[in-house]
Amino acid sequence: MTDSEQPETETAVSQPQWPENGGQWSDEEGGAGMDECGLAEMAEEDEEIDIYNNETFGMDMDTEVGDTEGDPTNPLFKFGEKPPAPPALPSLSPSSPSFSPRARPQLRVQGPPGRRGRGQRGGQAMAQMFEDPAVVRTVEGRPSLQSLDSAIVDVGSVSYWDDLDPDAWMLSSYERTRHASGSVLQDPAIVCVMDSHAPGRGPNYLDSHYPFSNSSGRRGGLRGSYSNRPFGQRCPSQINTMLPSSPIVSRRPFTTQQPYNQVGGLPSPRPCPSTPQPLTPKMMQLRFGANSPRPSPFYSPSSNRVQRFRFPGPVTQLHPQHRRLLSQRQQRSQRKPDSWDPYCNLMSAKEKEWIIRLQMIQLQSENPHLDDYYYQEYYRRMEAKLAEEELGMRGKREPPKLTTPYVTKMDSYTPVVHIEGSLGQVAVSTCFSPRRAINAVAAHCPHEELKDIRQQRLDVLKKIEKLFMVLLEVEEGQRMKAQVLGEGEEKGLMEKTEIKVEYIYSQLQHPDLEAEEEFLPCLLVSKGKQLLARLLPFLSHDAALKVLSMVTSHLPVLMSRDADESLPVLYPSLRIVIGGMTFSQLIGVLKDFTTSLPDSSDGSVCLSLVCQSKFGLSLLYALLSQGERLLSSDVPLEPSIGDFETWTDTVFLVASQLSQSALVEPLLLPSNLLTLFCRYLDKRTIHQLKSNMESATGYLALPS
Amino acid sequence: MTIQHNTGTLPSQEKHLVLLRDGRTLIGFLRSIDQFANLVFHQTVERIHVGKKFGDIPRGIFIVRGENVVLLGEIDMDKPCDTVLQQVSIEEILEEQRLQQQAKQETEKAKVTALKDRGLSIPKADNLDEY
Repeated sequence: MTDSEQPETETAVSQPQWPENGGQWSDEEGGAGMDECGLAEMAEEDEEIDIYNNETFGMDMDTEVGDTEGDPTNPLFKFGEKPPAPPALPSLSPSSPSFSPRARPQLRVQGPPGRRGRGQRGGQAMAQMFEDPAVVRTVEGRPSLQSLDSAIVDVGSVSYWDDLDPDAWMLSSYERTRHASGSVLQDPAIVCVMDSHAPGRGPNYLDSHYPFSNSSGRRGGLRGSYSNRPFGQRCPSQINTMLPSSPIVSRRPFTTQQPYNQVGGLPSPRPCPSTPQPLTPKMMQLRFGANSPRPSPFYSPSSNRVQRFRFPGPVTQLHPQHRRLLSQRQQRSQRKPDSWDPYCNLMSAKEKEWIIRLQMIQLQSENPHLDDYYYQEYYRRMEAKLAEEELGMRGKREPPKLTTPYVTKMDSYTPVVHIEGSLGQVAVSTCFSPRRAINAVAAHCPHEELKDIRQQRLDVLKKIEKLFMVLLEVEEGQRMKAQVLGEGEEKGLMEKTEIKVEYIYSQLQHPDLEAEEEFLPCLLVSKGKQLLARLLPFLSHDAALKVLSMVTSHLPVLMSRDADESLPVLYPSLRIVIGGMTFSQLIGVLKDFTTSLPDSSDGSVCLSLVCQSKFGLSLLYALLSQGERLLSSDVPLEPSIGDFETWTDTVFLVASQLSQSALVEPLLLPSNLLTLFCRYLDKRTIHQLKSNMESATGYLALPS
Repeated sequence: MTIQHNTGTLPSQEKHLVLLRDGRTLIGFLRSIDQFANLVFHQTVERIHVGKKFGDIPRGIFIVRGENVVLLGEIDMDKPCDTVLQQVSIEEILEEQRLQQQAKQETEKAKVTALKDRGLSIPKADNLDEY
């Protein structure tokens, strides 16, 4: 803003001095001697632009401070006493754009001439300004400007506000001074401009209940700005006392500041010129594009004001160990002042705090141990280690535990969350809900056949991913069940788990394929195998049996297409399923192994393949072992007709196959296998079998 | 996940080391950050490692866009440096790097031709199962 030129021209044009130009008044030497005619039009234009800019982007600050050193309070009092403006003036609406056009003509028309001497600058110019009905009118219209101007102190009550009026004006002018460094665009102002269009703006600034209300926050933020300013000479004592009293008056902000005082041992919220205020990044309504506030180049948004406590809910804290480490490091760095770096304080402590807080917001989660696993785990281990050491040294003492406040997950999905003063979008909601800005939607092809192989594959992969998410929830529920839950809770949890399991199971089955081949697409993908393996413990016995039989019936396909050898992941879960099978079920499954192709005479293709596959062989062994276990146990078997025959046939077949072909090492060799074979087979075959199996495994199958 | 660790002591007497997504390693004084982990590095040095040798290329001031940061850590100057790494000149390390890249490309090519001869092909990333 080039306000420096303006006041000179303005005074030449017999305009009332806007407060923002006060600073320039001292500069102007030959105001009277200017070429009034030539510059008049320019001045008018400049002034128009200037006023418009000021109203839109915030008052220019650099002028006021320089001028009011004389006796700032006087003109203010005078100001405050001024009667309302003459009726000619239209009432000013809160919206800024309408303000300036109306104000401008008023200024020009009613600007009192004369009284332009330099000596009268200080009080008289002010008085002159105050005499101007337009100016006085602006006081009444102040609420609108207040909503624009972040400098206005937000107070808890109207009455206080009234008392504060002159001072508020003063304060606002201080706020404007800050803009001197150059930035026209101040976040709060811009945002307020946007906000000012919202209805019911008036009482808002008094209402501190709105969590994200911009204006109130911004007014509250003033306190910080004054701590920034070189109060020294400029600040009237009145203001000084005013500011600290504002915490007294509006208690709420400061009490809510308390938690943040804990973070990193921040200085107290009492504003004083040198100590930085703890700042809080504040959530705001979304602003995009042209509306988006721009941070000033010289001040990060955080340094402009103390933002009222506006954390969305309880906020996570640093782990106490972490805090201790940080403070230790800080102490260490403070102890070494010798090597002083000219650039070392490029970031002020406030800015650092602000960023820390911003990041802390993003850390909120219901389940920190899950979401922030490495951090939590690291400090948990450190705690444990310390506890162990202390155990030796000082006896048992509870190491400081991190108490993360329980955070209720935000129910509403705010796709784009904008924190005031931040640069663009923050990752707050991205952990759980990806930003809508990046919306990758797969084009859905309705016809299965039309999809090419790659697309089908992608579909399967996507489906598996979704199912995995549900599976993770199921497993989480399982883990939580281990904790002591209330009766009702546990039941509810069980039901939910059931539903989810059902869902996954049904989803795994491909709708279009025939009954037997349902699971295949998912099963051919290694991640699908992992999914199934983890799902099996949760399935009912029947469902699990179905899965098992499906696996065995498609074993050749699975084995041949198991490029990355991920089939073994299914083994442990299937083994458990096998352990619960009845004899008839077992026989049914075993049949799959022994079915041969119609046109092949020797042995089953499946069996020969099985011998070459770790998984297949292990599965076979497990099945046989189960059969043997059942047979040798005392439990009545309830076999169906033909079961025993099938059993013996199978055993023979398997034995002959195993003894003939080279075997791979199975995942697990059950110990009762050879006992089984001994019962049915002759010694020679057994011997051969045994040596074959042993050569595969490398150890004795059975000491004999 | 967070960058709180360093900001407490940003009046940095300590240098920081950042690993970028393209594999570059930068070492310098971290002067400023923002919530996206955009970094301002001062008196930056790019360190190239080849085998047991490394070389430092002075780069001046770096502004790194946050999305390219893999990890960032503080270098503890106080810790005893008992490394086996041996510092060499810039020309030498660049030469070493070039040779390393060349060797890698050659082995890759040989592998691909060998597989092709056998009728196999290493699937590229988009054909793999896992996301």
